[in-house]
Amino acid sequence: MSSISGPVVVLLMVLQWAGRGLPSPVRPICDPRVLDRFIMEARDTETALRGCKAGCGVTGTFVVPLTNVDFVVWEKKDTGEQALEVQSGMSLFGQALGAVRESVSRVAVQILIDNNKSNIHSLGQVLRSLHIQDLPLPPAPAVGDLVTRKVSSLSELLHVHTNFLRGKVRLLLTNAPACQQNST
Amino acid sequence: MTNNNLNKLLAFCVLFCAQKTSIVHALETKVALLLHAEPEIPKCFAEGLSDLTCFWEEDEERAGSADQYSFRYTYQNENSSECAVTALPAAGGKRLYFCRLSQTPCFVPLDIRVFRDDLLIHNRSLFIELVFLLDPPANLTLTSTGTQGQLKASWLPPSLKYMGDSMMYEVSYAMAGSHIGKVEEVQASSELILRGLQSGTKYKVRIRIKLDGISYSGYWSAWTDPVLMETMPGDLDPLIVSLSLIISLVLTLLSLIVLMSHRRFLLKKIWPIIPTPESKFQGLFKVYGGDFQEWLGHSTGGLWLRPAYFYSEEFPAPLEVLSEVSLGPALPSSALPPKASEALGEEEDEDKKLKRVDSALMEGWRETPQEHWPMDQLRAIHQHPAPWTQSSLLESHDAYVTLNAQNHSGEEPLDDILEETLPLQVLFASGRTSSESRSDLGSFQQSSGSGCLSSQSSFEYPNHTWPPKGPGYTYMAVADSGVSMDYSPISSNKIDDIGKGVIYTNEYKNEIPAHRRPIGTPIHFAF
Repeated sequence: MSSISGPVVVLLMVLQWAGRGLPSPVRPICDPRVLDRFIMEARDTETALRGCKAGCGVTGTFVVPLTNVDFVVWEKKDTGEQALEVQSGMSLFGQALGAVRESVSRVAVQILIDNNKSNIHSLGQVLRSLHIQDLPLPPAPAVGDLVTRKVSSLSELLHVHTNFLRGKVRLLLTNAPACQQNST
Repeated sequence: MTNNNLNKLLAFCVLFCAQKTSIVHALETKVALLLHAEPEIPKCFAEGLSDLTCFWEEDEERAGSADQYSFRYTYQNENSSECAVTALPAAGGKRLYFCRLSQTPCFVPLDIRVFRDDLLIHNRSLFIELVFLLDPPANLTLTSTGTQGQLKASWLPPSLKYMGDSMMYEVSYAMAGSHIGKVEEVQASSELILRGLQSGTKYKVRIRIKLDGISYSGYWSAWTDPVLMETMPGDLDPLIVSLSLIISLVLTLLSLIVLMSHRRFLLKKIWPIIPTPESKFQGLFKVYGGDFQEWLGHSTGGLWLRPAYFYSEEFPAPLEVLSEVSLGPALPSSALPPKASEALGEEEDEDKKLKRVDSALMEGWRETPQEHWPMDQLRAIHQHPAPWTQSSLLESHDAYVTLNAQNHSGEEPLDDILEETLPLQVLFASGRTSSESRSDLGSFQQSSGSGCLSSQSSFEYPNHTWPPKGPGYTYMAVADSGVSMDYSPISSNKIDDIGKGVIYTNEYKNEIPAHRRPIGTPIHFAF
């Protein structure tokens, strides 16, 4: 009996280790309504905090990505370059919202900021489902970088966040190769 | 060759002009839409991914030349740029100034400033991806789905990259000729099934497009030209058809039952039986072709009268038949009841006359027995024989018929003579011109009895010159209505012999209802 149980135990251990290590295949999330929801929530947050007095107590400057999209130029970029631009931008927004969360004291504002941070995390999952490789984050962008700029208020930060989601992120998701294969 | 080149050039010019016209027309449509929908100035719209058209209008009176205006625009984090301004005339004494940008980035704020002679007149900040004004969808087509009350609308969406799932359509449909319709919205699709439509009805459908406003937004485009199509004709509901059949069957059965239960009454009303004498005169028409004389000559002996034959629903017209006409003093005019005589003198309005006379006769007959006053007249005639011409009996123009029974045996008393055995002759052979209604005196069977019966009618003597007859005639009063005959008891010229001979009275008179007795002028038959 011990001769039979030994290989069985080893086999079970190997299978368990394989189950932990190997990532389960994730189906591509191509439904545009997912991103639409994130966009609408970001817009609602921007609208809600637009009239916040004294910037809701948020001070300081935040580095944000550029949101302008020239379709002719965008089409010339490959998917990887587009994905890099999107991921770096999402990272910047995550950092900025994290800093805002620590400086606000109002619970209502905190809830809205937490929601947007959660949406950024979910959006990362969506990008991974499209098999766009997670590229290592570039170093902190310097001021004057063509791809970033600085903002000095919470409302402007949220406004740029909304425009980034509507523009580059949406273009990347709707034209991802994984989604194009599913539709054909 | 020159002609061909000219033709080609002409065709090109025509096409170019047509295209230009259509472009200008489309621009005018969009300008009109934005003037109504956009409150800010300048009004700007994007038609594609990398263009932007802005315009504003000025009154003609205050408008300046295009070079007086400068259009400056600045993208976020970029330097300012300037756009060339063009001017176009507009309706209503206005002038439009246009500026068109190309290679316009989206998702970034754009600041616009308009100067006139270096004086800022208009200022606006916008996102280009939020001011799309697209062309209406093309190729709107209506097809049938194969189901009643449905139509399928399909169209060609604008060929704009990256915006396919952001396009929203509004489909308006209404019955042709009606201004009240319905609107349905559909998103990210190029077809829509319209449901709940009336069967066999023509509908007009049109569509317009707009971006959904999440990533891209804009204004509603212009409506397409309406497309007409008729829906499928409706089929009859099987339940309704079956119920209708059952109800109609039940009603048919009920009507048949009612008809069958009252068929005799209805037949009498719709198709009254026309009396024909064929059944009474067997073989008269089929064998002898209506020749009564010949039929009489070949028929079985004996007269027979069927009382039922003389029954008639109509009032009989008076037929006065004279008995023997003997020369003598005029009979007193009181031979007849005065009312009856007056009635007899008229041929017009017989129905009313009959009624009056009937009532008079009824009164008279109550006073005197009905069956006897003709006998009284006969007695009066024989006692005071007078020319019949002066008799009131001859005052009318009715037919007078005499039946002459020639007794070859001489003065033989009248024994038991059955009226039914006495033949009736010469009714139709005299060539008289009386009306047919007065000529039918019933069915008689010629007998081979001791005597023969002869008859005469008053039509043979149009001037009331009724020839007198000798004694030995038996008289019988007959009233001929044209359809039926009424006979009074037979009387004999030999009044004194009444009691000797057995004279069988004619029972036919009794067969006729009392209220329908004829006027009563007796037809006297002379035998």
